[in-house]
Amino acid sequence: MMGDFPNHLFEDNRKRLAEFGFRPLAAGDFPTDWAAMWEKLKADFACFRDGGPAYKALPADQRAAAQRYMERRLVADRRLIACERCHGEMLRQGMDNELVELYAAARESYEEAVEAFGAAREKLEALLDA
Amino acid sequence: MKTYDKGDVLPEDYKELLLNLMAFQADSEYAGAQRVAENHQYAPRPEEAYRLSKKVMEEMGHGYYVWNLMRDLGVDVDARIAELAAHPDNPDPKKVKVINGFRKENWSTFFHRWEDVALFSTVVTPAAVAFLGQYRECSYLPWARVNVRIHKEEYGHLAFGVWASKRCLEFGGDEARDYMESRIPVFMQMGLGFYGRPSAGQGKSEMFDKYFDYGIKVKKPEELQQEYLEILESRLTGELGFKVPEGVEADYDMRIGYEADEESAA
Repeated sequence: MMGDFPNHLFEDNRKRLAEFGFRPLAAGDFPTDWAAMWEKLKADFACFRDGGPAYKALPADQRAAAQRYMERRLVADRRLIACERCHGEMLRQGMDNELVELYAAARESYEEAVEAFGAAREKLEALLDA
Repeated sequence: MKTYDKGDVLPEDYKELLLNLMAFQADSEYAGAQRVAENHQYAPRPEEAYRLSKKVMEEMGHGYYVWNLMRDLGVDVDARIAELAAHPDNPDPKKVKVINGFRKENWSTFFHRWEDVALFSTVVTPAAVAFLGQYRECSYLPWARVNVRIHKEEYGHLAFGVWASKRCLEFGGDEARDYMESRIPVFMQMGLGFYGRPSAGQGKSEMFDKYFDYGIKVKKPEELQQEYLEILESRLTGELGFKVPEGVEADYDMRIGYEADEESAA
């Protein structure tokens, strides 16, 4: 999928996200490999800057919050793909009002997902700091 | 001030000036998204990468919104998107109007680590907030309405910069603070030069009076610079504990006042 883009913009975008566990998800995919995902995400927390525990070693309440944080990330990943598709269609078909509106809706939805991902990180951080 | 809405017949010289500024905005927003995407290489943590990705999508959207208005005025915007998508590193200046600061050869010299990315949004973006904010009151009403939305999102980018800077300090401590302090003047030069040359005196912009008389630009560079400094000080000093450095000179060569092809009257 990485080579399918009409320009470099999304490749640059995705390359770094992939290092933190992003992967293009097909409809119906619902990854649950939380422990592996956690290893790529725990650097987000200042208290784990020198490492941090494995997912399974977290106390139950923190583990539940960590799973919600990772679920938020998966939502964002799905919505990113919707933005990319709109952009690709604009290049292929040419711009029109409908495509611009579709892009605007996809983009707003993605932005909400990223905000929710950030909010979930803050919730977990509050538990870790408590 | 005479205003025009969608479908109104525009005087030829007004239309030419309007499209010049709209083209600079739209092409540069998209090129800016490409530059921001390149900065992903510096994102040190997941949330930083995701928030930067969100910014890329917003900047692209700004380009689409303004291009869509240009399409209504008879411009072949598909050719512009195709040029930028096919040649992100060096788009043909005869086909698109990208501000100097968003050309890869200039942009890439400013970024060495994530702290630079955070500072760009903290120190340069206030200039975009002030500059683009004036278009909300311009004489071409469809463009004014689109810029209400864009202006709101530029404020969001400023919030991203402050958030990212706080995280740099949280994770990087004194070393990060010292580095950022040394880099603030570099980005401030760009911010100060954002609006183009002064409206009067030696070195004044030849084009400014025309834009101003038509109500396409509604604020003088001096007013915008004052707005910029007020926003900058509130973020830099109020929220992050840095000082606004004194004696920093504007860098007009990197300006994004959308008049990069004009000659100064000096």
